[in-house]
Amino acid sequence: MKKKQILLYTAFFLIMALLPLVANSKWLAVGTTFLIFSVVALSQDIVLGKAGMFNMGQALFFGLGAYTTAILNAKFNWPLLATMPLAILVPALFGILLAGPIIHLRGDYLLVTTIGFNIVFVQVLQNNLGGITGGPNGIFGVESLSLPGLADSPQTSAFYLSLIVLLITFVLMHNLEKSKAGRALHYLREDDLAAGAIGINTRVYKIFSFGLGAGMAGMAGTIYANQYSAVSPEAFDFVQSVLFFSIVIVGGSSIPGILLGVFLMFVLPEIFRDFATWRYFIFGIAMIMTMILRPRGLWPASFGNIPKELIRGDQNGR
Amino acid sequence: MADNTLVLTNVTKRFGGLVAVDDLSFTVKQGQIYGIIGPNGAGKTTVFNCITGIHPCEEGSINWCGEEIRLLSPHKIVQRGIVRTFQTIRLFSQMSVAENIMSGRHIKSSQGWWNAIVPTPGSKKDEKKNWQRVGELLDFFDLSDVTVNAAGSLPYGTQRRVEMARAMATEPKLLILDEPAAGLNDQETLGLIETIYKIKDLGVTILLIEHDMDLVMEVTEYLTVINFGKKIAEGTPDVIQKDPAVIEAYLGSEDDDE
Ligand SMILES: Nc1ncnc2c1ncn2[C@@H]1O[C@H](COP(=O)(O)OP(=O)(O)OP(=O)(O)O)[C@@H](O)[C@H]1O
Ligand SMILES: [Mg+2]
Repeated sequence: MKKKQILLYTAFFLIMALLPLVANSKWLAVGTTFLIFSVVALSQDIVLGKAGMFNMGQALFFGLGAYTTAILNAKFNWPLLATMPLAILVPALFGILLAGPIIHLRGDYLLVTTIGFNIVFVQVLQNNLGGITGGPNGIFGVESLSLPGLADSPQTSAFYLSLIVLLITFVLMHNLEKSKAGRALHYLREDDLAAGAIGINTRVYKIFSFGLGAGMAGMAGTIYANQYSAVSPEAFDFVQSVLFFSIVIVGGSSIPGILLGVFLMFVLPEIFRDFATWRYFIFGIAMIMTMILRPRGLWPASFGNIPKELIRGDQNGR
Repeated sequence: MADNTLVLTNVTKRFGGLVAVDDLSFTVKQGQIYGIIGPNGAGKTTVFNCITGIHPCEEGSINWCGEEIRLLSPHKIVQRGIVRTFQTIRLFSQMSVAENIMSGRHIKSSQGWWNAIVPTPGSKKDEKKNWQRVGELLDFFDLSDVTVNAAGSLPYGTQRRVEMARAMATEPKLLILDEPAAGLNDQETLGLIETIYKIKDLGVTILLIEHDMDLVMEVTEYLTVINFGKKIAEGTPDVIQKDPAVIEAYLGSEDDDE
């Protein structure tokens, strides 16, 4: 990482870490939502931004993680954090299984199929499949974790837990970017025929991106269930998936771009809450303007992050 | 038979009613620079698409090092040492030149998918080793001035070199070039010829399609000429130049004899 980036991320985490000192409970909740949704949007970026696949069902995997935690915690009394590995694995497995048969579909067809999956998922939750999803009301009584030293403020705990999970997500995104598999996803998006012709098993890496993205969204599901001590179907509706999709497109496929997107989408409307129904107006306009003026997003992915030894002289790229 | 010989036997490829490649057979031997020529639409690119698994052919046989590869998927064919470039350059255009070349290291990298989540000392070493190899290729193809430039922003001549560097990064035994001189100026073409010889010196067999006859006659050792998907002649460049069927195909009587 470049010095500037390290500085930027350190500043971001410091500011976020100090937020609970100044924010009231409403803004703390908004902050927590921002952190959780950032994790989901970053997971969506793996599939949509990096691998270039039009997945409009990311809320499904987010929900699957949240329900896994809620069921195991509220019904089977597993400690909250103990549910997290399964809340990652179950969606990851579903991601792989669902992607398998649809991965060859072209952009728009894939998009419609993933919306279909999302709708089926919500229907299954609402109809209380197997008697464990709690129907339209969902599941209540999920433990809200208290972090050491914050026993009297579950809200602050939820905030810091989310911040830790976002930090883990950043590390994962960084590792991905520096790996063979991570680059393979970029090659797929740029030209999947050329990627195949250079030796990349395109099918396997497309499925991999779904699995990884789903697992990451599932991890966000655990902290979501923790924040509200409850889960219910409408939070994972396909409209939610549309929002995550738009965030990646509007923000651009980069960590700052996506954080910016989540901020515009979920935090700004809260700031303008007084304008009631007008609050999404700004986001709508921002979406339109971005697509016209910056088709690759507000903060597009940057390439050429290659080892310094390879760069001769004083090239600075484009 | 077994070592690095490519044998096509009676390969036929149809697109709907159109027979793009018609009962074609030829053999490329290890170490050769082998040329395929023919008028526009003759089916040359389609032959390459059959060999590289992009459009598998339904009839005939494609044998490489003693193995039938006709129905293998493209990435499996690359793993067996056959790699190609495209007539219309297909680079990862937003990515840097170095990252483009690194894509060729994919099959040589020992990293598993899990290393994308948790890097290990082994995977970091592998990463470093492959970047080093990219550095060598940047030098070999004279691309070190444009290492970090977006591939799509470069002149055609340079893009062609990047595409060849990317292909060579897979350490192939057989390099397939589809009209490598298309869109190049004379200067760039001379550079290309030099590069082709340099690659040959590494022990790589080369199979190429080219319209630039000067280039073909200079670099290739053996040629197959196709027209309407069928082989109309084969031989050394000297022989081909004098072949009446070839001259006719190129000077082109428009009316169909068949
Ligand atoms: N994917 C495809 N689907 C349908 N028809 C195709 C396809 N690819 C090639 N063809 C047809 O097959 C024939 C041979 O095309 P091909 O591209 O192999 O010719 P070529 O010899 O490479 O020509 P050129 O010198 O112009 O590159 C043409 O008639 C072409 O229209
Ligand atoms: Mg062609």
